[in-house]
Amino acid sequence: MAEIMVEARTLGDLIIDDISHLAVEVTDLDRAGPFWRDVLGLKSIGSDIWPDCGHHLVFRAPSGQSLILAQNANRPDLTDTGVHLALRVGAGFKDRIAGKLTDAGVEVHRYFEDRPAEEADNFYFFDPDGNRIQLVDAAGAAGTVTGIDHAGVQVADILWAEEFYTGVLGVRVEHRMGWSTADYVRARDWAEGKEDMAPGTRRLDKRYTVMVDRKTVPRANMQIFLGFGRATLAVFLANQHFQEPLEELMVGTPRVAFTTTAQGLDAAALTLEQHQIPHDGPVRHPSSAPVGRSLYFKDPGGNFLELCTPD
Amino acid sequence: MADVESLSHSGICVHDLEEAERFYIDVLGAEAHSSVNFKTEDTLKGRSVHKSIVLGDYLFALALVGDFMPMPPDDQLRGAHGFRHAFTVSKARFDDTLDRLKKFNVAFEGPVDHPEAGPFGQSVYFKDPSGNFFEILWRRDEDVKYAETIALNVD
Repeated sequence: MAEIMVEARTLGDLIIDDISHLAVEVTDLDRAGPFWRDVLGLKSIGSDIWPDCGHHLVFRAPSGQSLILAQNANRPDLTDTGVHLALRVGAGFKDRIAGKLTDAGVEVHRYFEDRPAEEADNFYFFDPDGNRIQLVDAAGAAGTVTGIDHAGVQVADILWAEEFYTGVLGVRVEHRMGWSTADYVRARDWAEGKEDMAPGTRRLDKRYTVMVDRKTVPRANMQIFLGFGRATLAVFLANQHFQEPLEELMVGTPRVAFTTTAQGLDAAALTLEQHQIPHDGPVRHPSSAPVGRSLYFKDPGGNFLELCTPD
Repeated sequence: MADVESLSHSGICVHDLEEAERFYIDVLGAEAHSSVNFKTEDTLKGRSVHKSIVLGDYLFALALVGDFMPMPPDDQLRGAHGFRHAFTVSKARFDDTLDRLKKFNVAFEGPVDHPEAGPFGQSVYFKDPSGNFFEILWRRDEDVKYAETIALNVD
């Protein structure tokens, strides 16, 4: 029998198709579950059925993508960070959700968009735990949440993250924020209250406090937008120190998972091996599980990542 | 003997770090040298981001400025706005330089012929994407061991 050679390539050469699932942390499932179900109209497919997500509730979008609310009473407060998730919604659905949010006393934010592709998608709100949710228009779909568009994570070193995502995973940088003077000029509009911009994207720098009339200086916080197949991952430079998971921990929540093929998964494991990136798996899940095999690893910011196959 | 011995590097202000880095690397053949202050701890200390590239044997620190600099008109390709950096190439490679500028659609003025009695042969003038003036030239005395004072016929 001919030996099948799996060449080590960057994962971007393989088919990373889309986001498979997102695990989002909430402090209390009994409080968060009804919000996600009633406000967003998401359909639950069960609880505690997903591998490696602790106590959780699973919602499935028509795209087949899943949103997992994982309970963690000690979850960190992410409201002032760039961390967020974006859902695709069908025509007219934003208005319906806006109505429901108003009834629930939840404010809708129209943050200025840093990524040109999202200019029309400046609709944001927070769930009861402070998870920032963005709604993005899905072309030609009916009025409902159709799927997961993108996710945003934070890192403590934006260049190291870029090197990992482009050099190891082989994905492309689609857009950058914070690399240009225009971004800094725009930060002034934010500081002067002219434009509402998402938390974690701008900051007031204290450096010049003693140098220039004790004033702070508005600055752009760096972000890169990465293309993974049909999905996008926004990586933000954290503007505050944050606690990363223990170094030896490869699986956890919150987590961003991407779909790939069986061959892609094996090649990915080999690539991580060759780059000496710690990882766990590929792990074969029980046949009752909603995913087949998973490869777990982290980016340099300690964000849990997963590649998985449907069966 | 002067108090200083040689030029070490230049900080050059740019409006877009990525665009500038690509210009110096792709068009001028520079090498990426270092990237500084891209970490959370740097932002907390208010440090500014910059990238450095090595062009020939010379290091440029590309500094991102927080406000747009007033720059000369787009169609002015030759001048000195604060600084004009001039680099040499050998006469044999001068045409390659022109080809490279054309390939990347960089507007330039020249080649300009210099007086035969002087040290410079021809120059080409252009700007980086942020509007900083540049010049590339070849020298008539390129086969002579570099000695500016002799070439300029001064003591």
